[in-house]
Amino acid sequence: MSSAVWRALPYLANGIGYTVLITIVALAIGFLTGTPIALARVYGRRWLQGLAASYVVVLRGFPSLVVLFIAYYALAGAINLPPFLAGCAALGICSSAYQAEIFRGAIQSVEPGQMMAARALGMKRVQAIISIILPQALRNAIPGWSNEAAVVVKDSSLVYAVGLAELMRRAQQINATLHEPLLIFGVTGVLYFLLTFATNRLLSWVERRTAIPDMVVAR
Amino acid sequence: MKRRSLVLMSVMMVVATLALAGCGGGDKLVVGTSADYEPFEFIDEDGGYTGFDIELMEEIAARLDVELEWQDIAFDGLIGSLQSGKIDAIIAAMSATPDREEQVDFTKPYFIGADAIITADGSGLTINVNEDMAGLKVGVQSGTIQEEWVDENIDAEVSRYERAEQAIMDLKAGRIEVVAMDYYAATSFLDQGGLALALKTEFSGEHMAVAVQEGNTELRDEIDAVIAELQAEGFVEELALKYLSGD
Repeated sequence: MSSAVWRALPYLANGIGYTVLITIVALAIGFLTGTPIALARVYGRRWLQGLAASYVVVLRGFPSLVVLFIAYYALAGAINLPPFLAGCAALGICSSAYQAEIFRGAIQSVEPGQMMAARALGMKRVQAIISIILPQALRNAIPGWSNEAAVVVKDSSLVYAVGLAELMRRAQQINATLHEPLLIFGVTGVLYFLLTFATNRLLSWVERRTAIPDMVVAR
Repeated sequence: MKRRSLVLMSVMMVVATLALAGCGGGDKLVVGTSADYEPFEFIDEDGGYTGFDIELMEEIAARLDVELEWQDIAFDGLIGSLQSGKIDAIIAAMSATPDREEQVDFTKPYFIGADAIITADGSGLTINVNEDMAGLKVGVQSGTIQEEWVDENIDAEVSRYERAEQAIMDLKAGRIEVVAMDYYAATSFLDQGGLALALKTEFSGEHMAVAVQEGNTELRDEIDAVIAELQAEGFVEELALKYLSGD
């Protein structure tokens, strides 16, 4: 490895901070938006179900980069978001559509008898959803959700297009000066791999920690 | 679990709020560039921006007594960012062309550049005039004056790239036959070897200027005045010698 590339490594690695932050905020936005949408799809009135379903269908059909450019350039007249926030918002909104589907599947995998039992005990529907259904559904959702988390880690590289010096943009800048594409993008690929690997290990740890004893698969 | 997920949610919200709070704007000049264009704008070993344009703009900002904030954006996204108010000015080896004049306002040129036509080493291609690129596989960076010239003047199979360095990589890989680009940026690629300068030329006159938002005559005039001052003092010439002396 040439010494110039060695010296560029700290600058490259510092881009990880942005990558991680974008991922966390985007996943949080996706979680906070996706969960209500999943609930609306399962428990909502018919019009609400339709609305939630359309949201998912439309957003899943949009490339993240298109949503990002809309958030950054097209909306600038109304709300002028800096690159970081535009990136978080765009990736978060895109992720919410996928997360909504993950949570819908997880909610529907909880046996319908649970709801009936909760209602029979005198719980209100909302109460049953929050205390009985969701805690099980969220556990069931972890494997699918960790897939989505890995996707968002990698999609965070799109934000370079609006000028945030995250991992990918830094790799390009360094390559523009040092001209060692194989080496620089190779190292960058390894860094992304480490991030997704760590994310998935963390989530399987959460999955094990929160598992309900004697209830390996809730169905 | 309920409490735990509440805690998790609150943490996430705090992170989002902090992120929002972190971007309050002060009284400063936000300047867009595309830091992948050595020797005009690129990153140094410590990851700081450097180059001809960067030093020039830093001097301009210092003389205007404003705080300078750099915003690194892909070249073909710069004008859109300026128009939508993301940045106050652009310095990116950008030539003041009539098409761009319709979208932004330019200062007087701070540097007159030159263009280059590059081939792979030992390609056997002879290029004596710009028009010799006709019929060849030509690579250009999208949004540049070289792209505009090729589109308007010759019939060729054109490949467009987001960054100059991608065109050079494709030239070396043999997917294209020539690359038309800025002469000074080309010299830094020529230094790596494997490439040949087929022709030092001029397409439509590279009059590099700083762009400001359309109608922002106040900022334009201020920058104009400083550029005139710096040219009179020989500062611009010194910078050209320091960064562009591949001549």
